[in-house]
Amino acid sequence: MFAQIAFNGLVTGVIITLPALAVTLLFGVLKFPNFAIGGMMTVAAYMVFALNAQLGWPLVVAAAIVAVVFGGLSIVIDQLTFKPLRDRGGITLMVASLGLGLILENIARVFYGNAARSFAYELARPFRFLDIRMNREQMIAMIVAVVAMAAMYVLLTRMPIGRAMRAVADNPALALVRGIESPHIIRWTNFIAGVLLAIAGVLVGMDRALEPPVGNNYLVPVFAAAILGGLGSPLGAFAGALIIGLLSELSTLVIAPNYRIGVPLVVIALILVFRPQGLFGQPYIRK
Amino acid sequence: MSTAGPPQGARPPQGERREATQGAHHTSAPILVASGLHAGYGAGDILKGVDIELPRGTIVTIIGPNGSGKSTLIKTLSGLLPARQGDILLNGKRLNDMGPPKRVRAGLSYVPQEYNVFRNLTVLENLKIAREFMADGRPGSGKGVISDELLALFPQLAGKFKVLAGNLSGGQRQMLAFACALAVTPEVLMLDEPSAGLSPKYMSDIFETVKRVNDSGVSVLMVEQNAIDALSISTSCMVLANGRVRLNGRADEILGMRDLQSLYLGDSRDDEPARA
Repeated sequence: MFAQIAFNGLVTGVIITLPALAVTLLFGVLKFPNFAIGGMMTVAAYMVFALNAQLGWPLVVAAAIVAVVFGGLSIVIDQLTFKPLRDRGGITLMVASLGLGLILENIARVFYGNAARSFAYELARPFRFLDIRMNREQMIAMIVAVVAMAAMYVLLTRMPIGRAMRAVADNPALALVRGIESPHIIRWTNFIAGVLLAIAGVLVGMDRALEPPVGNNYLVPVFAAAILGGLGSPLGAFAGALIIGLLSELSTLVIAPNYRIGVPLVVIALILVFRPQGLFGQPYIRK
Repeated sequence: MSTAGPPQGARPPQGERREATQGAHHTSAPILVASGLHAGYGAGDILKGVDIELPRGTIVTIIGPNGSGKSTLIKTLSGLLPARQGDILLNGKRLNDMGPPKRVRAGLSYVPQEYNVFRNLTVLENLKIAREFMADGRPGSGKGVISDELLALFPQLAGKFKVLAGNLSGGQRQMLAFACALAVTPEVLMLDEPSAGLSPKYMSDIFETVKRVNDSGVSVLMVEQNAIDALSISTSCMVLANGRVRLNGRADEILGMRDLQSLYLGDSRDDEPARA
């Protein structure tokens, strides 16, 4: 029983790893919490649905194409929505992102209604390992999330563009006088966040039914994971997501399952009181 | 540097301005020239028509009281703060319309006073970023390992490549900032208060390093509160007060002035218009 719940928590954790990483990357470079990520996940998931369930493309192909296209779309969204507001401060950008998230969710609703839908792929019988029941969707989610995290680690630590993203997140003014063109880095950050959100949208759609609020339903645990790990810290996002996933599921051992949605909120409150910079974040110094 | 004299209407303090200005003369062509520079934050100007010239291969130190505009000047030259009026020329090429990254790639390297390393990146990552993004086909540019010559200049960094820059001591951080600014050999190195907050041991290391960098052919423009040590390695000096150049001359002459202290701290009488 405990092992099964812990496994389910691990799966929940890896699913929120990707959007948590997108949140932390966007916050690190652009310095505002982007609440549009929920709506973006929803739209990306429906784009995959259109190619996969409506046009008959294999799910993997549809997901890969949408991931790249949605990366580009994220750059466009940033240029149209956030760039004109960049000089007005983080609060303005945060409010704009909340509005954008609602707009995106309702665009999905306009085209597909409120009915729950699912991707078209062959269902497989669940299997048991060490008395833990696992299904194929869970294994796919684990593998995809681990591969995506490994790719992000290589990008951020081994590649010039990744180092530059971390440098801009660390000290934007110094990055300029070290020759880093911030607009270029902002575009790359949005592209990578868009790819992560598109993949996350597919995983979420596979884990649960695809419906318009599906992305925004993940906002609280995703932000709890990013804040717990330390906003701006990719490693923190990974650790925070796993902790939030495990805590949410394990909490059902002592509280009614309906109340587990409150666990991330409690974590946010506790971390903001006792360690505002999160587990892996640096204390923020206003300069 | 020799041509930037006192602004019209300013009164020479203690009668020594003329001698010092006449004493400053260099034969080499200036590599960096700024003329009629106005810049500031908000509504008012902090720099009110500053003219400077940095002769090639020299060290020019800017001194002046707090709030005189020293850091504003160097930030304006780097491009972090836009010039409202005036021209900035590097090797005769106008820089005004270039952002900081393009100015760096044109050869104008800058070490800020604080927060001058990426604290959450390792020493090696800081150096790699400098090489990867400051390069533009100039000597020392390109990707790959850090040159032996550069490492020889900064023995303090040996064995610390995997350490997070934020975990270095103040002096080591300053050395890393220098190393990053020099990772791609610049034409001009601009330093904002390089000795600020450092122990006396590191202070002497810093000025010694600046001298060695200059000996390697890099022109240096330095803002410094520690005027005595800075002037002892400098070719010439500029005293800034209230956003204007008050004195401009050879470093050894200014160092020898009896009232350097009053110049360095600023003299309110300088703001009075000259009497006819």
